[in-house]
Amino acid sequence: MKDKQTISCDLLIIGAGFAGMVAAARASSLGLKTVQVGNSSTLFLVSGLFDLLGVYPITSGQSLHSPATGLERLRIDNSRHPYSKTGYIKILESLNFLKFFLAAAGLDYQSNNNENYLVLTAAGTFKPSFMVPKTFIKGCGIKQGSKRLLLIDFNGLREFSAKQIANVIQDAGSDVSVLTIEIPAVSSTLNPIQLANLFEDIQFLKFLSKKISPFSKKTDLVGFPAVCGLNKSLETIGKLEEMTGLDCFEIPGMPPSLPGLRLKNAFEKQLSQNNVIFLNNSKIESHEFKNHQFILNAATQNMNTQITTKGVILASGRFPGCGLHAKRELITETVFNLPVFQPETRNKWYHLNFFNPEGHAINQAGLETDDAFRPVAQNNAPAFKTLYAVGSILAHNDWVRLKSGSGVSCVTAYSAVNDFYNSVSGRDTNV
Amino acid sequence: MKKIIETQVLIIGGGATGTGIARDLSLRGLNVILIEKQDLNAGASGGNHGLLHSGARYVCSDHEAAVECNNELNIIKRTAGHCVEETGGFFVAVCGDDEKYIADFPGMCRAAGIPFKSVDVTDARQMERSLSEKIIAVYEVNDASINPFKLSIENMNDAVSMGGQYFSYCMLQAVEMENKKVCYAKIQNRISNEIFYIKADTYVNASGAWAGRIAELAGIPINMVFSKGSLLVTSKRITKRVINRLRKAADGDILVPGGAVSILGTTSVRVDSPDNIFPTVDEVDRIITEGEKMIPLLKTCRYVRAYSGVRPLVSKGNNDDREVSRGFTLIDHEKDGVDNLVTITGGKLSTYRLMAEKTSDIICKKHGIISKCQTKHIVLPSTKSGEWSEPGLHITESVTRESRHDPILCECEIVPATAIDTIIRSIKNNKGKPDLTSIALRSRVGKGPCQGSFCSTRILSHMYNTGELTHAAGINDLRKFLNERWKGEQSLLWDQAIVQSSLKEMIHCGLFGLELETQ
Repeated sequence: MKDKQTISCDLLIIGAGFAGMVAAARASSLGLKTVQVGNSSTLFLVSGLFDLLGVYPITSGQSLHSPATGLERLRIDNSRHPYSKTGYIKILESLNFLKFFLAAAGLDYQSNNNENYLVLTAAGTFKPSFMVPKTFIKGCGIKQGSKRLLLIDFNGLREFSAKQIANVIQDAGSDVSVLTIEIPAVSSTLNPIQLANLFEDIQFLKFLSKKISPFSKKTDLVGFPAVCGLNKSLETIGKLEEMTGLDCFEIPGMPPSLPGLRLKNAFEKQLSQNNVIFLNNSKIESHEFKNHQFILNAATQNMNTQITTKGVILASGRFPGCGLHAKRELITETVFNLPVFQPETRNKWYHLNFFNPEGHAINQAGLETDDAFRPVAQNNAPAFKTLYAVGSILAHNDWVRLKSGSGVSCVTAYSAVNDFYNSVSGRDTNV
Repeated sequence: MKKIIETQVLIIGGGATGTGIARDLSLRGLNVILIEKQDLNAGASGGNHGLLHSGARYVCSDHEAAVECNNELNIIKRTAGHCVEETGGFFVAVCGDDEKYIADFPGMCRAAGIPFKSVDVTDARQMERSLSEKIIAVYEVNDASINPFKLSIENMNDAVSMGGQYFSYCMLQAVEMENKKVCYAKIQNRISNEIFYIKADTYVNASGAWAGRIAELAGIPINMVFSKGSLLVTSKRITKRVINRLRKAADGDILVPGGAVSILGTTSVRVDSPDNIFPTVDEVDRIITEGEKMIPLLKTCRYVRAYSGVRPLVSKGNNDDREVSRGFTLIDHEKDGVDNLVTITGGKLSTYRLMAEKTSDIICKKHGIISKCQTKHIVLPSTKSGEWSEPGLHITESVTRESRHDPILCECEIVPATAIDTIIRSIKNNKGKPDLTSIALRSRVGKGPCQGSFCSTRILSHMYNTGELTHAAGINDLRKFLNERWKGEQSLLWDQAIVQSSLKEMIHCGLFGLELETQ
């Protein structure tokens, strides 16, 4: 027999990925009584970089220098893209909100005068991104710069090879040395999280700087895999810089992603301080709407929670987050069974070429909304007055190819919560 | 100066037939070279069910083929037992299937001398629990499953042990003719681009679906018809036995167990060319819709991969391709004015040995050798040398735990770094170029549920660390590998598989930006 509880709140957020976290952050900051359901461990999969618009148009095959320029064209070309329902200023405002929210939890981000950074990745490629963890900043100029670089890797960290990055970027004319650190007592594989824990130990940092010191004369800058500490990464990088006398930075790579885990921890810390009730690992099993309120049942293995709320933010993600479900013949929305914009038949979902420069049609699938991000029903009117959809579940946004994931999640979550707040409080967040 | 290699027989094509001929002729004392434009079993020999037919499949449509299959099944079980799993097979009819076909089946089997046994439907569902409750008739036959990769490797290895030679990635470019004979074969090594010549007394065109193209180089027209068949690989093995639908051959009516998985197929789609074939969404849906009638689980189970093969058929009319005899075509081109060239094509995996025997008979006659075929009796040796180093071998079976300093690079299929190193060495020994794609051809790498999302980056890192890769070459290598795997998964993406493919795109496009030109 499962335990039962009932909760009532102003706003329920379904989803604990990036968009859900931003929505919860905004809602709780506005003083709304907020409940959040979902599974925050999906943040292990995010790179931790905040993209706004890294590529436009999709077929350009190029990194975009200035997101604002791309955004102008996007709004002309595609009125249905979520960005076309908002503006550049609003996007910056939402990212700024997020930046301060995370800074309060000790996680610092930085942007680059409205231009994209080019972030060196573990593949040796460069990814355009708009706002990045401060621990990444010193590596962002490498592509243009003439700094002498030392890349560090660790025996047993299987997905990260300093030699690979050095080889790939050397073709661009960079001066790169590599150093593999053998950690005593590690047999064949090393989990990034174990490694991050080691970085929290001052003795380990001393051990590292001793290994690095022979390179200090021929190096300006040291690149590490993004495993430099769990929660105090900036402080850790600072200590390393102090000990080695060299600038240091982190390089993002394969999941599990430490920058993603740091985000998860920072959000969870602040949201709990803001009294957001988080029902971890719970799933909405039923919903009804009566007397201007939603009544939903959230279930975990041993608890059923009945939630009464005035509004709902649907931030349940796409296929990995289970917000969308693909059957052999149809894509459905899993909580409210909302209509999903999608290609007519499955043979139009994907191209035969994985890297097709147009992107795959299925990545345009998702929920269509009005200008306030309220998903629409068959009749094109909002399905519910106070139901909003935010983040990657939205249609007409191939976020992977446009490098627009965090920006869309952030601005849609922020705007939807503001709209809800204004409608229930009669106040205006813009004032 | 021309580089010329001399041999008695040049065999073109490294599928089951070509490698079978290499062994057969070697056993008869002839010196052979086999060239293959890609790698062993790159064509139809690698793109099939891996089914050793009892013959029952053909009893109503092709009596002769049925008899051949039955004979060959017994020979292959006896002589190449280590490549065969004696699974047994069921023929099952479901409610609504053609009753006349069902009624005629036992008589037809009897007429072809094919052993069968009627099984009570309830008993059959006890023996194979996933069978549909709508099954109305079941016959048990001697079908078996065979590992076609292992088979070709062992045949080639045996030929090599008797002095034969194998050149992979070597493509026939032209033949030089003199006095109604082929005197040289001009060959390009597709990795080094080196051109060399092979001078043989006789030439065998065993290039399967490409037989028309090879014959054309000697000025001989063969009108080939290409029938594509697609197959789906389940993530888990579903039945103990081969399950055939008891009806006239049609889509999605055979499920063959192969080790830890099952393979469901097939289709029959006329295509213009045997190159660049891949399974389509429509084929996948047709296969599953039919398959689930025998086994409902096939509707909901996870599929990890799909692939296609081309049945090489020599055109005789405009019938449905499956109506065309699946018997083989053996042509002595003496009748076309080329005395020392023979073409063998068509047929099926189950009769590969017989095809090799008949072809070898003609070749021996041309060499004036009276020597009987030995492959009926002499057991195909099992070689250990190629354990990890050849395509299709299940590395998982050999390695089960991670040892110190030997990290597992492919976690789905448990492939350790040392196995990758062995494979790389063997590719180099065959004068090949080690890259992710060629490593995947020789192992289970990338064939598990993650479809290469993770192992690709680990192996790439490993290859840079060991100096196998330099400069930015690995990035293109990674692209090529992921795209190659994608062809086998893009038609199968729903449910859990689409979660995996979304993740793959998030990592390799979203973070690494591999789709961008500037990388």
